[in-house]
Amino acid sequence: MKTAHELRPGNVIMLDGSPWVVQKTETTRSGRNAAIVKLKLKHVLQDSSTESTFKGEDKMEDIILERLDCTYSYFADPMYVFMDAEYNQYDVEAENLGDAAAYIVDGMEENCQVTFYEGKAISVELPTSVVREVTYTEPSARGDTSGKVMKPATITGGGTLSVADFVKTGDMIEIDTRTNEFKKRV
Amino acid sequence: MTSQNSPERWDIFCAVVDNYGDIGVTWRLAKQLSAEQPIAITLWVDDLKSFSHILPALDPELVSQVHFGVTINQWSTPLAIAYQTGNVLIEAFACELPEQVKTSLIAMQQASKLDSSAAKPPLWLNLEYLSAESWVEGCHGLPSMQASGLKKYFYFPGFTAKTGGLICENKLFEKRDAWQLNLQNRQDLFASLGLSGIEPIDKVVSVFSYETKALLALCETWQDSEQTIHALFPKGRSLNSLQSILPCSIEELSAGMQIKLGNLVIHILPMTDQEGYDKLLWSCDFNIVRGEDSFLRAQWAAKPFIWHIYAQEDDYHLIKLDAFMQLYCNNLPPELAKSWKVLNLAFNNEQQELTASHWQKINLVDLPLLQHAKQWPIDAINDVDLVSRLVQFVKNS
Repeated sequence: MKTAHELRPGNVIMLDGSPWVVQKTETTRSGRNAAIVKLKLKHVLQDSSTESTFKGEDKMEDIILERLDCTYSYFADPMYVFMDAEYNQYDVEAENLGDAAAYIVDGMEENCQVTFYEGKAISVELPTSVVREVTYTEPSARGDTSGKVMKPATITGGGTLSVADFVKTGDMIEIDTRTNEFKKRV
Repeated sequence: MTSQNSPERWDIFCAVVDNYGDIGVTWRLAKQLSAEQPIAITLWVDDLKSFSHILPALDPELVSQVHFGVTINQWSTPLAIAYQTGNVLIEAFACELPEQVKTSLIAMQQASKLDSSAAKPPLWLNLEYLSAESWVEGCHGLPSMQASGLKKYFYFPGFTAKTGGLICENKLFEKRDAWQLNLQNRQDLFASLGLSGIEPIDKVVSVFSYETKALLALCETWQDSEQTIHALFPKGRSLNSLQSILPCSIEELSAGMQIKLGNLVIHILPMTDQEGYDKLLWSCDFNIVRGEDSFLRAQWAAKPFIWHIYAQEDDYHLIKLDAFMQLYCNNLPPELAKSWKVLNLAFNNEQQELTASHWQKINLVDLPLLQHAKQWPIDAINDVDLVSRLVQFVKNS
């Protein structure tokens, strides 16, 4: 079991007897510190998606499915193609990657885990942290070096996140893919 | 289930976390639903003693009783009164429903799956906390699929048309205007609360906050003010901040007592019900409020106020405060907006000097501020109140 708060894009959960792949998670805070988690879910077996809201501590049955370590090969619209150590290729629908797609870039070396349901590749889980180049961010406004002041940045692959004010365009940064949070400049 | 001829029956479950916050909101909701809609309301509360502070007629020893047309049941574990499914079930502020209730919902769900003519479980809603943050629009009304196959919906109160709206009784603003038009009402109210020595020209501030050094700074400022300021305190957490300037311990204070400190007169308020509290807010020149229920009632009072928001981890409450202040200050003159924002922020951050200095910049007879306070409720209600939107939401679901 996982709490809604622990779910990440790529996880597969069982709701009302059906498997759903988590495409996007968004955690916010309600009153008295309680977390609220909004999930975008795609039915694994049907062509249907839904948005759903949960208490952060709601327990979900996450399905343990077959997983394989793979590396990203190429994008053949609308499929992302991954390859295992024995050069077998697996196609995963772009839609199933959800927010994780922002971190899939050509030439990436990090290992991903491709998840299978009844023999079909249905989702991809990223490593918990990746290093990406900042392709654009505004110059530092305050000269702050404490790391507490944040500003928006775009990274290779087109994703956006908040980074520390001292980060510059061209810097390599480490990102927590579970939360889309800036960790440090590399 | 209720028959087609009988009115709808809704259940609201409320777990009291602090004294008057959750129960304050759910009691207002239950009363309004009962008074303005053809719905029989049952309110289940786990702490009737706390509830009785805002509903003095309530007997905390009774397991079931009726007030203002609302059936109030003691929520004990296990339930002393069997839960009978109605049309709608509301869990307030994500409280955990009793096992018996969840079991009966699941049983109904399973029965209706096997037999389409069987009664379906009630519509299950989680009424969330009020927030002005933009994400609320994206989460309001979304289903929450349960492993059991049941669906629960998250209902978010809010300030925009895409949210669940704000609790506001029918004709409330007209009643308030009529009250404020006759200055004698204020004097009569103060007299009925045992507050003496308040002249019609005196400035009066109500204080219902958590502990903060900023309150001490304000009181010290008020002591030196040019005119008399009466600060009305219920016996509670606000007073803990003032121990250093009080001539006695807080335990020795009782309703009706007054303490003169320079040009500040501190009055100790008796406990009052929600209607009495509304009138108090309508009658004061400035209100300091906390939490959710009194925060909203201060807005409906059409008077300037400070919101002492419930503190959250990592100062997340300041994000919520900022989101509200951005909305509230949209139509305020920039200088005034800045002063009001800084005053609220400084109060919440316990910044004594900043709170005191920005209090000086908020003129209590400032016409733009008063006009704004009067217009804001009309803008915030967005044509439709929470109860009306909630009933429509249920019809559409």
